Amino acid sequence: MDLVLEADRLGKRYGRTWALRDCSLHLPAGRIAALVGPNGAGKSTLLHLAVGLLKPDEGTVRVFGRSTYGDTEGLADIGFVAQDTPLYRDFTAAELVIAGGKLNRRWDAALARTRLAQLGIPPDKPVGKLSGGQRAQVALALALAKQPRLLLLDEPVASLDPLARREFLQSLMGSVADSGTTVLLSSHLLADLERVCDYLIVLNAAQVQLTGSVDELVAAHRQLVGPRHDGAPIGGVAQVVRASHTDRQSTLLVRTDGPVTDPAWTVRDVSLEDVVLAYLADGVAQTSHSEWGVAA
Amino acid sequence: MIWLTWRQHRKLAFYTLLGLAVLAAVLVPIGLSMRHTFTDLGLAGCLHPSTLSEAAAQTCDVSLRRFSDRYDSLNLVAVLLITLPVLVGLFWGAPLVAREVEQGTHRFVWTQGVGRTRWALVKFGLVGGAVVLLAACYGLGVSWWVDPLTKAAHEGRLGVIVFDLQGIVPIGYTLFAVALGIFAGTIWKRMLPAMGITLAGFIGVRAAVEMLARPHYQPARTQTFPIEGPGIPEGDRGNWVLAVGIRNPDGTMVAENTRIQCPPGGKGPDGRVCGAELGLKPGAYNWEMYQPADRFWLFQGIETGIFVALAVLLLYLAIRRVRRIA
Repeated sequence: MDLVLEADRLGKRYGRTWALRDCSLHLPAGRIAALVGPNGAGKSTLLHLAVGLLKPDEGTVRVFGRSTYGDTEGLADIGFVAQDTPLYRDFTAAELVIAGGKLNRRWDAALARTRLAQLGIPPDKPVGKLSGGQRAQVALALALAKQPRLLLLDEPVASLDPLARREFLQSLMGSVADSGTTVLLSSHLLADLERVCDYLIVLNAAQVQLTGSVDELVAAHRQLVGPRHDGAPIGGVAQVVRASHTDRQSTLLVRTDGPVTDPAWTVRDVSLEDVVLAYLADGVAQTSHSEWGVAA
Repeated sequence: MIWLTWRQHRKLAFYTLLGLAVLAAVLVPIGLSMRHTFTDLGLAGCLHPSTLSEAAAQTCDVSLRRFSDRYDSLNLVAVLLITLPVLVGLFWGAPLVAREVEQGTHRFVWTQGVGRTRWALVKFGLVGGAVVLLAACYGLGVSWWVDPLTKAAHEGRLGVIVFDLQGIVPIGYTLFAVALGIFAGTIWKRMLPAMGITLAGFIGVRAAVEMLARPHYQPARTQTFPIEGPGIPEGDRGNWVLAVGIRNPDGTMVAENTRIQCPPGGKGPDGRVCGAELGLKPGAYNWEMYQPADRFWLFQGIETGIFVALAVLLLYLAIRRVRRIA
């Protein structure tokens, strides 16, 4: 299996706070991977480390086998669209395409122009005057014109309205489907990405909570409903991810390592969103009680 | 990269050139008329008073006074011209990195195929080069413009404000201001704070160098004049006088920041010898510490060197900082 992105015990610290810590993950080639986590989970930090904007404080991150910080050569293979799709606002889209050509050795200007024409983006209007959705499309077109083997998108749809979101993701999928480009895109909402991604990385509180292909993740998790559970092992359950209890009944979201045959439990299939929410529920509010000086 | 730099800064370049053109349109006619007056009054012959006869010296005095009466207010313009280098630092230097980071575009441009070190080198190099050209034109132009004013002024080209305006020091100042702006932008990463820091830092460093360092670039010379004699004692016009005073024969300073002059054999109001009421002993003399006028280019070179060196250091630090901004 070809690995595009490998992080090994990766960590980044701002002052005394770790934005990302002990992060190990492997992204196989050809995937559309969603990087999901609440705001402040470290998604941007991970992407900035991956594209070489940041230098790791701990561990390593490699893209196509090369560590990225300070590696100009490796940049040619990575397309990156930063959060809020920053572009020179006084440049027109046509000028940005020219600028990209001057800044990159490999550059498919025709591809960018064709895309922008299809999307109806005016070539001679400053991009600062375009709508958010159009600007995101310009940024995506510029990233694709690099013909990257890995495309990193940081919250590309966060500021778009639902219609623009769908259009953006559709056009993204359309263009990477043929080229075999690996895509890693982040969002704080799984719902944005659920339909397009086939690989998932869940990040929370600076740590990787879950990583794997969507099919495997969904297949490996089940919801069990049964009599109140006291923590005793259940046959076929590898880990209880989340449990909620009423007086007489427990609802568990579990990772399985075999069929659950115990007749006491009703076994249900779960959606990807159930799995993600179960993992995110951990470890959110643990520190804030002490910081606010109130009892947990 | 060159195309991008030009595209990003062409508007600012246009306005800068426009500003300079307007300034030239105002100053060149004034400069021409000043030069005509200078020649018409025959002031060129008055620059070394020690070589003049008494009658010629008096004519010179009158002519110089007429020239000053007419053009002294222009010294205010000269003071305004001093601010130009720091303006270039504020509007060219400070936004160079700060604006990219403020608008997030650094994440766009630094993730293209050119690395950010190369980005910084090309950008700083081009802007620095343009600024040096600009400052050289400014320095030459102002040298020409201010020449009659400085010749007519007692202290000449080494004087505190006119020295800063002409020759090659504007290049050093401007380069330093731009480098300071760039560096401040890499630390504070917002345009307005970076501009504020640039302004404060530039004024601080310039004042410190001007007051603390410049008088000591070379050991100052001293000269003395007798108290009794005809006319006001005067060194050559163009010397930069650092201190004056009256000293007793044993060298003790009797009165600082003053000179006296008595006609030969003159008596004070109370009938004693001239200056006795100040505590002067016989043989007391006027004393002056100065930097001679012919050190102008040496001082220009030293001062420019200091500021260029500071600019290079700041740019080096800025490039190091750029590598750490995400």
